[in-house]
Amino acid sequence: MNHLIIAPIVLPAVLAGLIVLLARRAMLAQRLIGAVALLALLGLSVVLLRQSGEIPAQAYFLGNWPAPFGIVLVLDRLSALMLVLTAGLAAVIWAYAVVTGWDRRGRHFHTLFLFQMMGLNGAFLTGDAFNLFVFFEVLLIASYGLMVHGGGTARVRAGVQYVAFNLLGSTLFLFGLAAIYSVTGTLNMADLAVKLAVLPPGDAALIRVAFALLLMVFAIKGALVPLHFWLPGTYAAAPGPVAALFAVMTKVGAYAMIRLGTLIVTAPATEGLWQAYLTPAALCTMAVGAVGVLGSHSLPRMVAFAGIGSMGVVFLAIGAGTPQATSAALYYMVHSTLATAALFLLADMITPAQGRDDVQGRGAAASGVMAALFMAAAIAMAGMPPLSGFVAKLLVLDALRDKAALMWSAVLLASLLTILGFARTGSRLFWKPPTDVSPAPAPDNPGAIAAVVALLAAIVGLTVFAGPITAWLDMTAQALHLPTGYIAANALPGVP
Amino acid sequence: MEILIASSVGVLTAAGLYLMLRAQTFPVILGLSLLSYAVNIFIFAAGRVAPGMAPILDPAAIGYVDPLPQALVLTAIVISFGMTAVIVIMALGAYLNSGDDDVDAAGSDISGGAG
Amino acid sequence: MSLALIAALPFLGALLAGLTIRFGRTASAASAFAVTAVALGLIVPHIPDVLQGKAVQTQIVWLPSLGMNANFMLDGLGLLFAILILGIGLLIILYAGFYLSAKDDWGRFFSYLMLFQGAMLGIVLSDNILLLLVFWELTALSSFLLIGYWSHLPQSRRGARMALAVTGSGGLALIAGMLILGQVAGSYDLSVIVTQKATIQASVWYLPALILILVGAFTKSAQFPFHFWLPHAMAAPTPVSAYLHSATMVKAGLFILARFWPVLAGTEAWFMIVASTGLVTMIWGAVVALFKHDLKAILAYSTISHLGLITFLLGLGTTAGAVAAVLHILCHASFKAALFMSAGILDHAAGSRDMRAFGGLRRLMPITFGLTLLATLSMAGLPPLNGFLSKEMMLEVASHTAWRGNTWLVPGFATFAAMLSVGYCLRYVAHLFFGPVRRDYPAPPHDPAFGMWLAPALLVAVVVVMGLAPMTIAGWLIDSAASAVTGTPVQTTIKLWHGWQNPALYLSALAFGGGFVILGGWSRLSGAWQSLPIPDAKQAFDAGLGALTALAQSVTAALHSHSFSRAISIATVTICAVGLLAFTGADHSAGTLPATPIQAVPAALWLLLIATLCASVALHRDRMIAVLLIGVVGLIISVGFAYLSAPDLALTQITVEVVTVVLLLLALNILPKHSGPAGSRARHLRDIAVAGAAGIGAAALCYALMLRAPAFAPISAFHLAQSKSGAGGTNAVNTIIVDFRGYDTYGEIIVLGIAALLIIALIDGLLAPGPARDRILARLPHANPTGEAHPMMMQVATRLILPFALMIGIYIYLRGHNLPGGGFVAGLVFAIALVMQYMASGQEWMQHRKRLNYHTILGAGVLIASATGLGSWFAGRPFLTSNYAYVSLPPLEVFELATASLFDLGVFLCVLGAVMLILESLSKLGLAARKGP
Repeated sequence: MNHLIIAPIVLPAVLAGLIVLLARRAMLAQRLIGAVALLALLGLSVVLLRQSGEIPAQAYFLGNWPAPFGIVLVLDRLSALMLVLTAGLAAVIWAYAVVTGWDRRGRHFHTLFLFQMMGLNGAFLTGDAFNLFVFFEVLLIASYGLMVHGGGTARVRAGVQYVAFNLLGSTLFLFGLAAIYSVTGTLNMADLAVKLAVLPPGDAALIRVAFALLLMVFAIKGALVPLHFWLPGTYAAAPGPVAALFAVMTKVGAYAMIRLGTLIVTAPATEGLWQAYLTPAALCTMAVGAVGVLGSHSLPRMVAFAGIGSMGVVFLAIGAGTPQATSAALYYMVHSTLATAALFLLADMITPAQGRDDVQGRGAAASGVMAALFMAAAIAMAGMPPLSGFVAKLLVLDALRDKAALMWSAVLLASLLTILGFARTGSRLFWKPPTDVSPAPAPDNPGAIAAVVALLAAIVGLTVFAGPITAWLDMTAQALHLPTGYIAANALPGVP
Repeated sequence: MEILIASSVGVLTAAGLYLMLRAQTFPVILGLSLLSYAVNIFIFAAGRVAPGMAPILDPAAIGYVDPLPQALVLTAIVISFGMTAVIVIMALGAYLNSGDDDVDAAGSDISGGAG
Repeated sequence: MSLALIAALPFLGALLAGLTIRFGRTASAASAFAVTAVALGLIVPHIPDVLQGKAVQTQIVWLPSLGMNANFMLDGLGLLFAILILGIGLLIILYAGFYLSAKDDWGRFFSYLMLFQGAMLGIVLSDNILLLLVFWELTALSSFLLIGYWSHLPQSRRGARMALAVTGSGGLALIAGMLILGQVAGSYDLSVIVTQKATIQASVWYLPALILILVGAFTKSAQFPFHFWLPHAMAAPTPVSAYLHSATMVKAGLFILARFWPVLAGTEAWFMIVASTGLVTMIWGAVVALFKHDLKAILAYSTISHLGLITFLLGLGTTAGAVAAVLHILCHASFKAALFMSAGILDHAAGSRDMRAFGGLRRLMPITFGLTLLATLSMAGLPPLNGFLSKEMMLEVASHTAWRGNTWLVPGFATFAAMLSVGYCLRYVAHLFFGPVRRDYPAPPHDPAFGMWLAPALLVAVVVVMGLAPMTIAGWLIDSAASAVTGTPVQTTIKLWHGWQNPALYLSALAFGGGFVILGGWSRLSGAWQSLPIPDAKQAFDAGLGALTALAQSVTAALHSHSFSRAISIATVTICAVGLLAFTGADHSAGTLPATPIQAVPAALWLLLIATLCASVALHRDRMIAVLLIGVVGLIISVGFAYLSAPDLALTQITVEVVTVVLLLLALNILPKHSGPAGSRARHLRDIAVAGAAGIGAAALCYALMLRAPAFAPISAFHLAQSKSGAGGTNAVNTIIVDFRGYDTYGEIIVLGIAALLIIALIDGLLAPGPARDRILARLPHANPTGEAHPMMMQVATRLILPFALMIGIYIYLRGHNLPGGGFVAGLVFAIALVMQYMASGQEWMQHRKRLNYHTILGAGVLIASATGLGSWFAGRPFLTSNYAYVSLPPLEVFELATASLFDLGVFLCVLGAVMLILESLSKLGLAARKGP
């Protein structure tokens, strides 16, 4: 039994508990513990990633109870990928929050941050549907805390909406899970896949409803139109680094769709159930995102909409439901997480100088360095060469070639609007000469810039090593679409 | 009996959503707690119901109802309690910060044009 | 030397130019010059191979699964362009060194320039068309930077954005086109694609691909109707214009046409679209050029016209056309670059770019005059300059080209265009240099320093020499390029004199005659032109883009109006719809389980529940009442749980209920006691409909599930079987939450803990100086949530109750594993007992007697729970594996001590700590109000 699998969940919990117990008021100690935790998590997830390459899937039976009766964690390539992405992103963002002093602007930042990590890792590792709900709640409630970190009217008000909307989502999640248990009598995902394959036809309709509800839950997380309304306000109001961290939160929804979707897609009752809804909604999501980029007045909102648009592309690829498309979706997910996060950090650095609203306004918001970083991040986000956005776009287009006419024009038009939006904002922000009303550019914070550079470096790496990375992702997608290894790892009674 | 339970779930859900649509924080909170009642009963009912068959091992017992949904409901109750507490305090914060407890206007002051 | 390295060099140069600026402007320019020279030098050794028709290749695997690889290829066409890009690049850098002023940022300029050069070089060296796309978009980005170089000028910003918008969208079309082409040809490598002519032209995808690729090429090469961005790109510094619009950026489109000529050309569609567009552009550009006054505008439109000419020649799809096109690409690059530079000289020396400010300069600026004259006459196509060669060849080809069987149309238009171009060329020279010397020049005109006219002089030298000895100078280059374009070996003979029987001779004579006539009648023509209502493309474009942006803004604002209720309604309706669709998507057989008979108790409970719910909805605006009614609902439900064999649920529900109600009441001490009316009658109806739909859905689903037997044996059978033997407890529910699914509980107490911390952080924020704090302090004392008066009876009662309550709590905790109860309920009971003290005796009283810090309790809880879980590692078991033993501890009955109950202790502490922290910090608010600042 490989105890490393539980570590990404217990480690942050224990360290967070320690902070609460011992270091409630000692910022330095909190930062030290945080640093240790994030480095350890990064190391752990890299180790797990390498393991996941060797063994198709390994299960960790909590409480030593056999599946499906107890709860299992399952480590496979997908979960390992998400762990690494999360840990890497979080490490950079955490460092940014420290160097910019964001962590001092309210209590318990580091505790909440660690619990956030626990929730995310738990969600990515669990092999149990109800446990997925529990860890969704963990990561959500931590995100509520981070979102209103630092307080302020706008933030707290947006927070109320964010919480209420997600509570609705959680309730829906429970409805779906209860229905699933009521029909199949199980909660273990692998067991679910096995039982769905032989489900009596009379139960088909009910199980379809159950999974449709689950799809809606994940759609809310992933900001799929028309369930995305909570996102722009929340992300624009959240502290910069938190918004950047949230770039991975929408991906949790996408992750859950891929994880469960690939397990149920072959079953007669639920075959093609999700795809039917995903594709049209994804097209709308892309449109709303792209139009929003062109139509936003404030930089953070603009980035939020760019994030929505990128989720649209991801969902489009997931909706195609082929291994190639899934692989493209994964690459696009990793890319857009990094790009969105980088832009949110930049927005956080630029916006104070530029003033809350209104990119029309005054230029000279920031130094040349910032301009260069912004341009790089924008190029990545808009899917222009030479950064990973372009590669990701090509991968998705190639995977969608069966419905080329519609899909390609949609994706390309969306990226045109995004390019126009970013060009407009960029030239207004950085090229317009300072007017007397425009505030002096904020002095560059080398630490903060280093954080953004780190993210951009990751994006460059993603581009340069696109070959090996996509090869690895292709194998991941293959394993997802033929989940025998995943199911076997659960060692279910009576299942070879 | 089932019809009673199902209808209770329905009425609870409807009432909860109706309150959630009332555009002020406090009704929204009340609505959410009604919704959580609804879903708790739903989970519980999903394990099918029967009186006098509590899942507490006892040689004299004629049988037991499914204990798992009950355990799930326990978890759900606790979590929703935590969530309720959080949103109550957030609502307080929003009210104390802005002087009204309207939900709909939230964030309009940072939306830049979209408000 | 590997082509990849050559292609990489300019990017290195961009870096260098940016760094060396630290050592002064010259250093930056010099580094750019040096790198370009090296790149050019590295091309040379490849020339022999290329001339023998052997394409030089370099292949680097990048993204094989997509067929996207860093494959480079140098053939005749690539060679021609590489020489243009690097050769003229050198002259541009030389010229820019004298053109830029000291206050310009040279480092930025030369990095951008080299960036652009690299992108261009990449395009012409790419073998893989996806790689080509990368460089293609890079030219758009880098020209965006170059055109916007003088970013303080609004027209620079606008020009840059316009160029990006037009060429960028063209680029997206090109992406689609290339992908289709690749899919059809089965490879993204040019060297493969060019062999697939038959397959591609037979495919149904041929026309879409063709059109998309042409859109990409035409936008880049400023073909009608996409030409309008080019004049506005003239806001760039003149060296940039000279580079982008003579030899490079605008030629990229033509390069694409030439590149794909072997596979795309030769069809009716190709001829109709490409040749016609070229012809129209050729004429339109010339007409507009004739009447512009700004020097660079005239050159811009003449460029458009000449690009049209080349497009037209490529569109013919004949070898002769291709040869002429290649030849003119070379000629145009030489004289047009020279002309831009001389325009820059005039701008510098005479302080204006407006024709009307000049005249009679020939004596004041003899050198500039000489250079401009030769370049312009070459552009006009006067022998023996190189412009004549290609013009002649064009007319020759045109003279026997039929357009839909019409034999005079093409020659006629071609000659007309030639005539116009002679016209604007003559006017350019005449109005600048001839006529009387004026008194009112913007600045005293004078010839520039040697360095500044060196670059144009060299180009003019090419113009002249190539005209005199075309074969020796350019024959080899043209041949190899033309062979690469047509895919068949070409041997051309370019000469000045083709003999009397050559129709082109008369056509160009005609053109010249007409040109002089135009010059003569220019002022009258100009008057007529000004009076014509010509739509201004720029305004149209700006208006269009403005409208698009405005639309986007209003749509976005309208969609995301921050209306929570609307978002919730939309979500609810969507969810119901999707659920319904999913249900109808497959067949459903109704449940077969016998319905449980309805007894009096549940019926009464049900009636009570429905009544309370209706009341709470009806009276919800009085919040105090609403809270109490909700509490009652909770109680009814817990009774229901008890009745339906769920004692644990009943116990938990009731305790949670109490705490929740307390919480809500505390909140109500601060929040308004009444809700305002929410919306119109219509809105109420809408809300009722939405909520009703969801309610019906939930009820229906619930009912359907309850009557349907599980399809498979539930996993809980195992839990019941193992509860005692495996987990050592008779209460299956409790063994599930602390053992079988203890991990869920672990997550659940973490949630509680986070909730507590979050709330503390929030309240801290509220108590920090700010509007919230002011509002709290502004409140009247009697509003404080801990209550002003503490009735004696209540105090005594609660203090007597406290120990018993705590005893009960401990008892519930201990028996939990076997009977209803457990750590969670125990924690809540403790909390309630303590809360009662708060209620009765007030915050201060408790504060004084508080021994424990709830933070510590909470933290300890989390750690104990985690530690219990980790403990099992030492037994080599997974996280949360439990172990138990029976302990007899008189006078207590024999009870079993399980690690699970240690875990349960963690739960207990977490719950207690969390709940107390929440309530305590909430009452802090009241305390603050009481104490004041």
